[in-house]
Amino acid sequence: MKITPTLEGGLRVDVEDAGDWFVLLGITRDAVSGDEELSSRLGAMITDEEISADWRDIIVPELEEGFQTDLVHVTGAIHAAEEDGGGQLWITPENAWHWYSALNQARLALHGIHHFDSAGTRPPADLDPAVRGAFLRSQFYCAFQTLLLDHVMR
Amino acid sequence: MPDSDTLTVPRDKASLDLPWKVIVHDDPVNLMAYVTWVFMKIFGYDGKKARMLMREVHEQGRSVVWSGQRERAELYVQQLHAHQLKATLEKET
Repeated sequence: MKITPTLEGGLRVDVEDAGDWFVLLGITRDAVSGDEELSSRLGAMITDEEISADWRDIIVPELEEGFQTDLVHVTGAIHAAEEDGGGQLWITPENAWHWYSALNQARLALHGIHHFDSAGTRPPADLDPAVRGAFLRSQFYCAFQTLLLDHVMR
Repeated sequence: MPDSDTLTVPRDKASLDLPWKVIVHDDPVNLMAYVTWVFMKIFGYDGKKARMLMREVHEQGRSVVWSGQRERAELYVQQLHAHQLKATLEKET
């Protein structure tokens, strides 16, 4: 897989084989892999009694809907590009946020499950294979996000 | 006789006037460049101020990124959560 900036200010993802499609679809699989929805985890931070009940009832569902919309967009774009058969997936400035959000949801969920060592003191080779796989996917998502930030979301 | 029919309701001065603080907490996932970008986008801060606040979050674990009226503070926290940042609001003491 290659991801390159476009002259239109977006990114082009060149998919080389079935494994690449699987990796891309892993973004949304990982995003929903946590025990608790991201909106609820964030909502739980609002503890002020004047606010918390309304927040839980009104804001949390709204946030969850937004996060789901981003995942639906990304999954749809991947499936559409796969069916198109050209092996290319285009990310425009207009839809870059959906991608950044989905990648971030995936990284947050993976970190919540595996608690990766952010100091990097433990080499990936020493990790349990399932954790190593999750760690490497998280690193890929991070690199993808950096490309979005540097070339699209400026 | 008053020159309008406006009903004046005394308000709870303490709860309405106390400023609220919007606080962003550090997390190991969100990228520093992204946090800076979010501060610029949501609060309209220039790059220098946004980077300074991002550094404060990163180095001190949290930063008060805005303070003021409660409704506005709630809106900002909602926007920060929509951008997947850990944010809370607290009453000034």
